[in-house]
Amino acid sequence: MDYAFLVALLAASVRIAAPLILGALGGLISERAGVFAVGIEGMMLAGAFGAAIGAFVSGSPAVGLLLAVVAGSLIASIVAIAVTIFRADQMVTGLAVNILAFGLTSFLLRGLFGGRAPSIRLHIFGAIDIPFLSSLPFVGPILFRQSALTYAAVAIALLLHLALYRTRAGLTLRATGENPEAVFAAGNNPIRIRQLAVIAGGAIAGLGGAVLSLQDVGTFTDGMTNGRGFLALAAVIVGRWTPLGALAACLVFGAASALEVRLQGFNLPVSSYAIQMAPYLLALAVLAGLGRGTRMPQAIGQAYRVG
Amino acid sequence: MNKMAPQRTGSTNGSARLCSLRRAVLAAVAGLALAAGPAAAADEGKAAMLFPGSINDQSWNAVGYQGLVKLKAAGWDTAYSENVQSADEVEALRDYAKRGFDLVIGHTGRFLSAAERVGGEFPKTTFIVGSGSGGAGKNVASVDFDNTQFGYLMGVLAAKLSKTGKIGSVNGLEGLPNVYSQIGAYRQGARSVNPKIEVKVIYIKDMEDAAAAKEAALSLADWGADFISGKLNAAQAGIIQAAKERNIYCNGRSTDQTAIAPTNVATNIVEKWDEMYAAAAVEAKAGKLGGKYELYGLDTPGSTGASLKYSPDSAFNPAIPPAIVADVEALEKTFAAGGLKIKVVKEDGHGGL
Repeated sequence: MDYAFLVALLAASVRIAAPLILGALGGLISERAGVFAVGIEGMMLAGAFGAAIGAFVSGSPAVGLLLAVVAGSLIASIVAIAVTIFRADQMVTGLAVNILAFGLTSFLLRGLFGGRAPSIRLHIFGAIDIPFLSSLPFVGPILFRQSALTYAAVAIALLLHLALYRTRAGLTLRATGENPEAVFAAGNNPIRIRQLAVIAGGAIAGLGGAVLSLQDVGTFTDGMTNGRGFLALAAVIVGRWTPLGALAACLVFGAASALEVRLQGFNLPVSSYAIQMAPYLLALAVLAGLGRGTRMPQAIGQAYRVG
Repeated sequence: MNKMAPQRTGSTNGSARLCSLRRAVLAAVAGLALAAGPAAAADEGKAAMLFPGSINDQSWNAVGYQGLVKLKAAGWDTAYSENVQSADEVEALRDYAKRGFDLVIGHTGRFLSAAERVGGEFPKTTFIVGSGSGGAGKNVASVDFDNTQFGYLMGVLAAKLSKTGKIGSVNGLEGLPNVYSQIGAYRQGARSVNPKIEVKVIYIKDMEDAAAAKEAALSLADWGADFISGKLNAAQAGIIQAAKERNIYCNGRSTDQTAIAPTNVATNIVEKWDEMYAAAAVEAKAGKLGGKYELYGLDTPGSTGASLKYSPDSAFNPAIPPAIVADVEALEKTFAAGGLKIKVVKEDGHGGL
């Protein structure tokens, strides 16, 4: 394993991790407030769709990003309303919006354009070299020659860490996932907090979808998130419901994916089908190993009733 | 004249119901699309097509859909379903056969085993499997283009264009006959030009996942490949984005894909599913198709199966030196005259070097 191989591998790991990081951070906000984030996959898919349609119709990537946030939030608001006002089962609601997002994006892609899906081709966000830092040896090409949304993903992880552990709002959010009664007694409204948390999470997950359509491939295809939302969900658990932990977990999953395609080049006497399982086996192994020692937010999954 | 009945959703178990729900949504979409089309001129019969992905993928499913458009123009009543999942294949085929469709086309080799299972139940229906690997019984046929010819041409082109002596290919579904045919021939073609050339093949797990295909292609570029081929569906766009980013050559599967990266797409292997399905439908109506494995190539009458196209009116990227173009075109003539037959075995499609 030479130097150039290692640098390329690690740079690819960060690139692949970007959509996972945003998905995981979105899920984390929701789960810390006490709502399971099973619907992340659907929110990411809606975000990928909103980003592509917004950028395609307006010609502006900024509009695409805005629509990604709106689309992710819209799917999330369905979850928010169902689980807080109607106290629906959080797991089932999450699964339902995943299916809804798949069907709805496929339908709208055709319905919005008169029945025939358009050929969407977008200019993708190119790499941005950070002055000085990008010319550092080793870390420069790995960390500082990435694209805009990848930097944004890491920045949001750091900001979320500060917000959760250094602000009063962060404390209230965490308390809502642990003991909503206490939050209520302190004069806050746990239902409102959960709604806002789920919707904010959807907005960030939507950006995660935008990474795929605006930064990676420049188009939208049906179901293009392809399970990345579930990998993000695993990263939340592996990262023990902390932003920096989830960030690290996503980078590990990214590295497993980047290694997987490169391993095939070594002519191992193993079928490609077996090698392709690597990222998921790793996720399972880490979950089984680390998952045992973790404690999820105490009140997660339980509907809160006033009084 | 609503000839599109909605997709049936009468499954009994829970998970099948979720799939059916998804199918119903997509079938509703399909209905929307077809209702907008003009009325059929003559009545040839009823033909349905099932797609593994969506018809807007600018790749595999999009070219298959052109086949259905051609059948409709020829006077067939047409219907289709998109995103048919593996678990739903048998039910989807059976569904259309029960509704009296004369021709049910599964637009991927994956449909072959499903068609073999339901074929006997519906002797009046002809099942055609696009890119299948064999016929069965009296009414199940496979139709494909000659992957070895076009894989070989692409290997020759890639090796002649490569400056690094390294070329790559990103694919899905290792072990499928049409997949290893193209890859094995790509390797042979490249070695016929440069015996020392290194050809690295990477498989991804989903032919529709463009982001994953792009990463696989980037890993080949990191290794030093300067031509990347491949045979993917929606994911083909990922190969082309990667080639654009690293400014190397690649091939697409439709002239639409040239527009993604006009300087980097060398050419596209454009499959003529419209011609192949139309030819097969004529044969089926005459009762001559059942049980056959029809392979269309540069040396067959009716259709050449596929052709190399950069744009609707040119075959190669204008940046490719005329001498290389001439060499590839001469090779096409050799194939057309039957002067070269490529033999591949499953092992030729192995991943890696």
